[in-house]
Amino acid sequence: MARAAKGAGLIGVGALLVVAQLASLGPAALAQTDTQLPTVSKECGEIAAAAAPLPHSATALRDRKQLRILAIGASSASMLGGTRDTMPLLEQILERSIKGLDVEIINRGVSGELAAAAAERLKIEVALNHPDVILWQVGTNDAFAQVPVEEFETTVRDMLQWLKKHNVDAILIGLHYMKQLATHEHYQAIRASLRRIVADEGVLRIGRYESSEILARTMREDGHPEPSTFGLNDGGYNCMAQYLARAIAVGLFAKPSVPPAKPTP
Amino acid sequence: MPRQANAVDFWRGFALVSIFVNHIPGIWFERLTHRNFSISDSAELFVFLAGWSLGLLVSSRSAATNSALLVFRLGGRAVTIYAAQILISSIALALLASAAYAFDNPLILEWHNAAAIFQEPALTHIGLVLLSHHLGYFDILPLYVVLMLTAPAIAMLDRFARPVLLPLSFALYFAALMVPFTARTWPVEGQWFFNPFTWQTMFVLGFVLSRNTGLGAIVRRHIDGIRIAALPLVLVTALMVVWNWFPDPTALPEPKLLFLNGKSFLTPIRLLQFLALIAVFSAMYRRFAPHVPWLTEFLSSMGRNSLNVFCVASVLSLVGQIIRYRYAGSFMVDTLVVFVGVSLLWVTATVSEWRERQKAQD
Repeated sequence: MARAAKGAGLIGVGALLVVAQLASLGPAALAQTDTQLPTVSKECGEIAAAAAPLPHSATALRDRKQLRILAIGASSASMLGGTRDTMPLLEQILERSIKGLDVEIINRGVSGELAAAAAERLKIEVALNHPDVILWQVGTNDAFAQVPVEEFETTVRDMLQWLKKHNVDAILIGLHYMKQLATHEHYQAIRASLRRIVADEGVLRIGRYESSEILARTMREDGHPEPSTFGLNDGGYNCMAQYLARAIAVGLFAKPSVPPAKPTP
Repeated sequence: MPRQANAVDFWRGFALVSIFVNHIPGIWFERLTHRNFSISDSAELFVFLAGWSLGLLVSSRSAATNSALLVFRLGGRAVTIYAAQILISSIALALLASAAYAFDNPLILEWHNAAAIFQEPALTHIGLVLLSHHLGYFDILPLYVVLMLTAPAIAMLDRFARPVLLPLSFALYFAALMVPFTARTWPVEGQWFFNPFTWQTMFVLGFVLSRNTGLGAIVRRHIDGIRIAALPLVLVTALMVVWNWFPDPTALPEPKLLFLNGKSFLTPIRLLQFLALIAVFSAMYRRFAPHVPWLTEFLSSMGRNSLNVFCVASVLSLVGQIIRYRYAGSFMVDTLVVFVGVSLLWVTATVSEWRERQKAQD
């Protein structure tokens, strides 16, 4: 708890801890569904996410007891966690936590792809696979490729609005944390842009950068050497799967601020 | 002596330069390549011309006599392309590792599907050798290897059952779109970026249309009429691309892949638009070539040495990406990257031809 408080103070305004979102969950919602919210292991620290409900996924859970997740973006296979021989960790945690839920994960990540190309493909993948929720890892490649911030922002905003119109929830997975990139101007500009988009569009974002940053600073303050990077190994990706599982579970049972739009014919 | 500049080599050189530029995402000059005005891009042109070259080879006098020799020769070509893919993938991995160390940024190890190589090297190396693991932007040669492995079958069908070849190719194409199915990647779960079951049709069309018999002969006889019919399609689709006038994919009827615009599956709209585009632009070469001999020779020399130039272009594209990351891509940096890169592609072609001449003299 002390670690969370320390971390939350460090990241400042912008990212809310999902754990705080639990307070807004209707107790009845969880009680009705034989559900235990997934926990995040101690090594992964706290999950930083702009909390948001997932109304269309909640409908899928209620009506079909099924959740179809489409992963797109760089390293999308890795962020699902687990080993090659088992089902993705994300799927395991969700199915274990929400009794009777059948999770199907479709991975359509293309490594190195920019947001514009991913958005173009995403429309096709939505048409072909009818997902309830999209996991979109976005920003890192655009930052490295020096894509202008306005162009990036327009692409992501348009895509999120398109998804909303088509009754698909979206979860954005933000940029990687690396202390070397803390002063990289364009990287930080893309990161700030993503935060703006999330705030305006009301979608859920997993703040990987913030989570790792909290963990890194906590380690430093506890006298442990800070690793040169976070998340670029199995342990890091398993943490990401845990963050995602928790954020999805919270989003499923959170009360929507506005009712979901009626499906388009 | 290298052969004289011709339309096929010229357009192939054009495709290679476009691929080099398009494979540096975010570069300023990307907006000048023809994919900004066309549904299809240089990948379609590259594969079509590969099929066209196969057609010319199969119909050449030396290949016409001995089927066994032809099969052996085509198999050898597939092995050469495979070796090229392994070589450029290895160089790309070394470049990524070097950049990660040099700029103290381990995230670079994750670029372009390279993460699995560094995190799970044993299995992913097997995947690289089996062509089931591709680095991003290094995924067209695996398709080319598969196509060249099928080339002996294509040549034999052409020789002994010609009427079957194109219908068989289209049957596989539509099956892959309607079921749908594609090739899987391993050990990282996913799909091939270029679905070989659909892209083979582009290769076979290049092969068939290169011939002076059958469909190739019919097209040549009616090329003026075809161009007139194709021009509106080229213009309308250019407007569709510029203004993003594509129908909502979710609103399209099933099977959606028949109506979508998708590169991975080479959907029918891309195939049709590409055929219309080449019908229109095939008329242009003989009109402008005499006026810009330096340009035709420049691009044709690259086209004549397409595999070598493609390999160097792939590696240089990655170098370009690293330079843009390091020096925060500006117009000046982008111009320098393109100028030096294209010059090195020309040097590659020139050195390749010099070596060929040396070998011939020996």
